[in-house]
Amino acid sequence: MQKTSQSSPSRRPDNTAYKQQQLPACRVQLTASRVLLCFFATGLSCLAMGIVLLLSAKGIQEVEINYTETCADCAALRENADNFDKECSCSIPFNIPQAMQGDVYMFYKLYGFYQNLYQYVLSRSNIQLVGTDVKHTDGCDPFATLNGTPIAPCGAIANSMFNDTIILSYNFNSSEDIKVPMLNQGIAWWTDKYVKFQNPSFNDLPSAFEGTVKPPSWSQPAYELDADTPENNGFTNDAFIVWMRTAAFPTFKKLYRRLHRTQHFTEGLPAGSYSLHITYNFPVTKFHGEKSVVLSTLTWSGGSSLFLGLAYTVTGAVTWLAFFSMMAVYVTMEKRI
Amino acid sequence: MLLRGCVLRNTEWCFGLVIFAGPDTKLMQNSGRTKFKRTSIDRLMNTLVLWIFGFLVCMGVILAIGNAIWEHEVGTHFQVYLPWDEAVDSAFFSGFLSFWSYIIILNTVVPISLYVRWREGGPSARLRWGPQYPGVPQPDLPLPCSVEVIRLGHSYFINWDKKMFCVKRQTPAEARTTTLNEELGQVEYIFSDKTGTLTQNIMVFNKCSIHGHSYGDMFDLLGHKAELGERPEPIDFSFNPLADNKFVFWDPSLLEAVKTGDPHTHEFFRLLSLCHTVMSEEKDEGELYYKAQSPDEGALVTAARNFGFVFRSRTPKTITVQELGSAITYQLLAILDFNNIRKRMSVIVRNPEGKIRLYCKGADTILLDRLHPSTHELLSATTDHLNEYAGEGLRTLVLAYKDLDEEYYEEWAVRRLQASLAQDSREDRLASVYEEVENDMMLLGATAIEDKLQQGVPETIALLTLANIKIWVLTGDKQETAVNIGYSCKMLTDDMTEVFIVTGHTVLEVREELRKAREKMLDASRTVVNGFPCQEQLSTSKLTSVLEAVAGEYALVINGHSLAHALEADMELEFLETACACKAVICCRVTPLQKAQVVELVKKYKKAVTLAIGDGANDVSMIKTAHIGVGISGQEGIQAVLASDYAFSQFKFLQRLLLVHGRWSYLRMCKFLCYFFYKNFAFTMVHFWFGFFCGFSAQTVYDQYFITLYNIVYTSLPVLAMGVFDQDVPEQRSMEYPKLYEPGQLNLLFNKREFFICIAQGIYTSVLMFFIPYGVFAEATRDDGTQLADYQSFAVTVATSLVIVVSVQIGLDTGYWTAINHFFIWGSLAVYFAILFAMHSNGLFDMFPNQFCFVGNAQNTLAQPAVWLTIVLTTVVCILPVVAFRFLKLSLKPDLSDTVRYTQLVRKKQKAQHRCLRRVGRTGSRRSGYAFSHQEGFGELIMSGKNMRLSSLALSGFTTRSSSSWIESLRRKKSDSAGSPSGTSDKPLKG
Repeated sequence: MQKTSQSSPSRRPDNTAYKQQQLPACRVQLTASRVLLCFFATGLSCLAMGIVLLLSAKGIQEVEINYTETCADCAALRENADNFDKECSCSIPFNIPQAMQGDVYMFYKLYGFYQNLYQYVLSRSNIQLVGTDVKHTDGCDPFATLNGTPIAPCGAIANSMFNDTIILSYNFNSSEDIKVPMLNQGIAWWTDKYVKFQNPSFNDLPSAFEGTVKPPSWSQPAYELDADTPENNGFTNDAFIVWMRTAAFPTFKKLYRRLHRTQHFTEGLPAGSYSLHITYNFPVTKFHGEKSVVLSTLTWSGGSSLFLGLAYTVTGAVTWLAFFSMMAVYVTMEKRI
Repeated sequence: MLLRGCVLRNTEWCFGLVIFAGPDTKLMQNSGRTKFKRTSIDRLMNTLVLWIFGFLVCMGVILAIGNAIWEHEVGTHFQVYLPWDEAVDSAFFSGFLSFWSYIIILNTVVPISLYVRWREGGPSARLRWGPQYPGVPQPDLPLPCSVEVIRLGHSYFINWDKKMFCVKRQTPAEARTTTLNEELGQVEYIFSDKTGTLTQNIMVFNKCSIHGHSYGDMFDLLGHKAELGERPEPIDFSFNPLADNKFVFWDPSLLEAVKTGDPHTHEFFRLLSLCHTVMSEEKDEGELYYKAQSPDEGALVTAARNFGFVFRSRTPKTITVQELGSAITYQLLAILDFNNIRKRMSVIVRNPEGKIRLYCKGADTILLDRLHPSTHELLSATTDHLNEYAGEGLRTLVLAYKDLDEEYYEEWAVRRLQASLAQDSREDRLASVYEEVENDMMLLGATAIEDKLQQGVPETIALLTLANIKIWVLTGDKQETAVNIGYSCKMLTDDMTEVFIVTGHTVLEVREELRKAREKMLDASRTVVNGFPCQEQLSTSKLTSVLEAVAGEYALVINGHSLAHALEADMELEFLETACACKAVICCRVTPLQKAQVVELVKKYKKAVTLAIGDGANDVSMIKTAHIGVGISGQEGIQAVLASDYAFSQFKFLQRLLLVHGRWSYLRMCKFLCYFFYKNFAFTMVHFWFGFFCGFSAQTVYDQYFITLYNIVYTSLPVLAMGVFDQDVPEQRSMEYPKLYEPGQLNLLFNKREFFICIAQGIYTSVLMFFIPYGVFAEATRDDGTQLADYQSFAVTVATSLVIVVSVQIGLDTGYWTAINHFFIWGSLAVYFAILFAMHSNGLFDMFPNQFCFVGNAQNTLAQPAVWLTIVLTTVVCILPVVAFRFLKLSLKPDLSDTVRYTQLVRKKQKAQHRCLRRVGRTGSRRSGYAFSHQEGFGELIMSGKNMRLSSLALSGFTTRSSSSWIESLRRKKSDSAGSPSGTSDKPLKG
């Protein structure tokens, strides 16, 4: 036996921890102390986090002005696509009872606008938008070409870009209307502005867009989006970039302007009466949508997220409830044993 | 012609020619067809896949209806911004397309991809995987593949197990299929062959009682009875040059008795060396070979040989015995041969002094009645010993002698001659003549022979019985042998209320016997269960329910010919019910085909997993029929191994195969499947909820690459590691607590209920996974005022929380954290983030702007505190209820493995108390085992001298003229006594 096992390789299985399923391991077990401790700690931290979030959300000031009804005349005008070249504007006075401290952001909010439809989301050409080939319109159906000429920027997303102009005025000393200084740049992600969206490399923008047409719903071509700042035009226009980052849900708000903290507004928006002057271009009533303007301040965690604070508080409370009931169950079971 | 099972004796070699082989042989005809075996989990999976498919279609229909309504109510008005495709002319058609899109998106819930994905060039761009994502491979769900990998791993663990390695034969265990592993954890019925599987087919002279003194117990130095394992040195037979060195005996007092010349002991061994039908062969001087017709006899003669009474040679008329060195030749006057009715054999010899003496050995029940009244005292002492031996499962024989007068013998010999020449009823006459002389004998003592079981067989059987596995022995052996083995491997015990023996030859007899057995069991349970309604009518349905709860332990022994009737269509159910109510079932004298039929019967009516274990070609059909076939790679060739699913070389490895490997396999597979369904539902159902917010437009929540990689990269390896390595309790515990095996038999860990729980958990997770981020994102903005709720950020947030939640969940499910588990779980998370950042990097976007349009998303989104708060909240809310649920289950309704783990935790350092199997020391019912594998007719053969080789024949007066007649007579007798077409083989074949 000895000899045979020496001469021929033994068929005895290797005595390794792996092969014998004896790998050193930690056997995890839900022990009462661990579970209860975990529940207690989780409950505590959730409650704390919830309260912190609620408090900070409370510090946010927000004003929302829904102008779908207010500008009903303009809305009716826009229902007919033929009136696209007729100007229509309306003015909405409103009051800010308490000064909005710090940075104030102006958003436009759309209700019932489905920016997340499968085909809508697909209908764009990233190759065109990155500036490689301005005539590249693959995947832009049904807004790829207009009478055979490629659309720039092409696609359903670009075509449906929000194009209302919203001007906020401050009624200073109840007589003088001051236009609140707003910034229309720095409202998009850095990566979007400098990586994802690039203008075609030409000396002047109009020639770069030569051979293309503007999207059918647009009133001006892409290179004339911002008349005041020449470099904020074409594909790298901030408002355009913001629009192109499609929303996940049918109700969404997108950043429109930031408050430029100069003159009277270094501390934010002072309390008082204001008015919105809206050039109404964007039709929403056709698909039963609504539009509004939102003015808001922010905290460390971003915009108004009351939900998060509430959810954390509720979770913490429920976890503690569970902790106490489990404790009770555990104690009774221990006693019975 | 040599038929299968023949044994050639008295020759060293022969020429052979195989003339009838191939598929038409009896063996092949008996072996049955090979079927493709699948596990019950596989079958359950098929049902579940169909259900899931139905569920998928339901979801598709709901979403399609939703889409039709949405398009009708909203979509038509939204056409300014998104006109319908040319192909879509109505909301209804849009819904129809949406149905197919959703079927494709949601098909990740179906574990087997049944259809080819529709990519690129569908009838309309509305369908998913349109031209936007060309070339991204759509992954098949790796479920079938993962299941196979896990099973393969388990098979390797079986192959590698050194505790299932037989050192003697240098054979490791071998899993010959990789598809049945988890079924090993669900076995409820074991069908075992006897010879070669339970027993080694070796008889060992173990103990004896001589003149009221018992020898053979092992004592240690202090005089206590030694237990197994602490054996002292066996006694030294070196004084005897003719001793067989393979023979071992541990009680030196017996040798002492021989050496001091105790006349009873001498007479005892003299009897053993004279009264037998063994042939001897002496190749060289002192090198004796015994050719015994049954191993029992061989053992007895070998024992006598070693104690100095060496049977050296025989002629038809003489027997030469070397008694303590001096050769003595006895004149052999008569052999009163063995048969099944007499259960004894005698020889009448004349010793050199001229005294005639009859030596008799036989079954105690028979022989004890035929003793001289003067031996009464001795009788009671011997009876005690016999009881003791029987309690240890030994086969006992009683030895007696009788002195005969010369005149009486002469007169008797004449009568015997007359009887043997009688024309009619010769057998009966001879029997009565024999009976007359075998009377008033003097008791010498008793022998106890151990039918050597394979190592660890009683322990294994006891353990498997504790694990609620029913063991049926199907053997070709005779009833007595089978029952004897049943006792010695503790399948049958004397605690049993009754052992039913069915031996009827006709249908009516068998039916009657079965009915009686059932009635007895019912009567007994009726007395236990008070006031149970008396049923005269033994209706089948009631019977089953009643027999399930039969009180007391019963056993059933059924014969081959009775079994043939019992297996007929109208009686099989009755038989099965009776058999299943019994703790142990032994079928003896069964053909290979009947073995398969019995297995088939249990398979057909009991929803239980069956396992067949055997070593010979005659077990092949049974091995093939059972759900799991195990082959013992032993001496009997490799047919059984070739037909088997698992093969190893010792029966005792079965306990490890089932209780350790099988249990773990089942546990792991169940955990794996539960987790697998959970994670896919959690993953997929998010799309369903999102459907309500995206106009049912078949928009996915996640990035395309995430969908591709989720199943094959992010979540596959941790669950695979769990499926391969997980252990709930250490292997020693599953041996200590055989009840741990029960969940598998009851199918508790993965059944439809568990499946629905997993699905529910998955759906619950998906709801939270969608609605918590939705709630947060709906109103929130980023901390720099830009939009938070853009589609891409939402996708990244949900995907990240999903990966984290399922990783935490697998962490909870993993009970045994090896380094590999750690590596895979942490590695998967790391890989997720690495891939996420790589995919969203500027570099990839610059190269392929259309493919990697999520550029910058990861760093922008994951830098937001709100996103991380969302992820943490989702994780907590998804996981805590699971923890709470498990904790409550643990404290309110712990199952055995929980308890075992808990106790282990409590006394981690303490040495666990081993539950040893006690040696049964009680009085047992006596089972005399005289040569039960013995055939009648050899006495005659020896006296005729016809089978003596001429070289060893002292008398050469025999001619070869009648050389075939003895074979004829032997064959006739064999078939008469056995009642079965082939006698010598202990595995009869029935055509």
